[in-house]
Amino acid sequence: MFAVHVENLVKTYDSRRVLDGVNLDVPEGEFYALMGPNGSGKTTLASIIAAVKTQDSGVAEVYSRKPAQAKEFIGYVPQENFSSPKLSGKENLVYFANLLGYSRSQANQLVAEVLKNVGLSEEADKRVAKYSGGMRKRLEVATAIFPGIKVLILDEPTTGLDPAARRSFFSMVRDIMDRKTSIILITHIGSDAELASRVGLIDNGKMIAEGTPDELKRKHAVEDVITVETAVKTESVLSVLKGYSINGKVAEAETGYKIYSSNGDRVLADVVRSLDQTGHKVMRIEMARPTLEDVFFRLTERHLQEATG
Amino acid sequence: MRQISAAYNKAVKELLREKAALFWTIAWPIIWVLIGSFSFTGSAPQGVIPYIRGSIAISMMVFALMIAGMSNLSASIAGDRANGLLSKLISMPIKPYKDFIGRISAVITLSLLAAALVIVIGTAVGARFTGTGVEILQAVGFVFLVICASAGVGLIAGTLIKNLQGAIMTGVGIAVITSAISGLFAPYEALPVPLQTFARVYPISSAQASIVHLLAGPDMVAYNPLTSGQITLTIALSFALLLVGTVLYSRLGWKLE
Repeated sequence: MFAVHVENLVKTYDSRRVLDGVNLDVPEGEFYALMGPNGSGKTTLASIIAAVKTQDSGVAEVYSRKPAQAKEFIGYVPQENFSSPKLSGKENLVYFANLLGYSRSQANQLVAEVLKNVGLSEEADKRVAKYSGGMRKRLEVATAIFPGIKVLILDEPTTGLDPAARRSFFSMVRDIMDRKTSIILITHIGSDAELASRVGLIDNGKMIAEGTPDELKRKHAVEDVITVETAVKTESVLSVLKGYSINGKVAEAETGYKIYSSNGDRVLADVVRSLDQTGHKVMRIEMARPTLEDVFFRLTERHLQEATG
Repeated sequence: MRQISAAYNKAVKELLREKAALFWTIAWPIIWVLIGSFSFTGSAPQGVIPYIRGSIAISMMVFALMIAGMSNLSASIAGDRANGLLSKLISMPIKPYKDFIGRISAVITLSLLAAALVIVIGTAVGARFTGTGVEILQAVGFVFLVICASAGVGLIAGTLIKNLQGAIMTGVGIAVITSAISGLFAPYEALPVPLQTFARVYPISSAQASIVHLLAGPDMVAYNPLTSGQITLTIALSFALLLVGTVLYSRLGWKLE
């Protein structure tokens, strides 16, 4: 039995198919990342699994039940900060524990334990308004890991967090994994998805690829990724780089361009030489193994961050 | 029961920690009780002034109840929807009506607290009230109707208006404007005829006139709000507003898509 089973799921908004026949199976205890740009349908899919929305057609099941009948197993953390800033961290968690039917004394005991698990024991009595973004997100995850929760759905949990807070956050998530909870992570950040045991890439409402991070990279992005940073970004630089990239594909990176090559070591030197000959100063050039963002680019010919923006 | 008390505790704590809510619900009516008690008694005979002050305190108590229901309740609903709490709650095994009862109970608590403070301050600055035990109980019944009608408006605004600031401003706006045009802030006889009709139909101003009639004396009200027809209308419209609000909230408030 799968913790989550989704089959041929369709959801339409204003005649636009946000989900177009999506299939997904998440076994018990798996850490699954669903990665795609904004508008790809990933949040809608998560919302349907979390019983917040309903599909137009297809099947969505949590432990073989419709999500609305399996709410006691579902721990959902929406993208927005839903904890009350006027209450303390402890008060927020006691509220959710009481909603789940725990008595005052049970709730207090449970909340103390959960706060410890998310590393917020010392901040328990502080108002959430004074929490950092990372602390607040950890508190909100804490609302979704009470006993009995078997499927944890995290929607873009690291948006707005700095790298240290993201590391700390995922370290906590890994601790949760030890408890055999299935985790579905919704993200558009490749480095977050890399931490999952399996990744589904979703675009325009369709699952375009699925596998472990290594499988996806082996299958869809075997090439080396060369990042080139020049003094200025121009059409002429682009045209030089196209000549060295497989199928002429060049992705725009934050401060330069990315090209893809099956023989990175040789191409590296050739690129520097060609740019130099055409009068372009190379500020930085480096070669790396492909990331999941590169996989997305190879499959859709769009950069994930650009598509997101 | 635990879900109701969870929703109640959260809403009460949030309301008591929200400075704007406390200002509009408690401080603002008290300020007007103080101003009104010393400025608006005019050339009234000395013996009548305590009852004019009583009438002012009752009007401001009603205004406090209106703000609590119309603005605080709608802000609580719209705020929770805007910040994603509603999505979270929908994903949990919770019955919407339990959340509803918890929220309404919290608003009633704040309303009664505000009402009590306004009356105590009014009394402290010289307001006097009449009324037998039965009349006091009847007045409490009309207070209950004001809470019902205000909560109904609050539920409608909180359900239909999607953002927090919009919900707050709409609630305050409805409370202030309807108070002004229904004789809560001005003598009924000073209103133009169409607004006098509105004052009789609007269940909150009608209930306020009834409370004043019962507790400050019939001389403080320009018409008799305690006829059977007027009472029936006040009760029916108060419950109608609450019913419409409850139906809208339970059908649309907990439905995202």
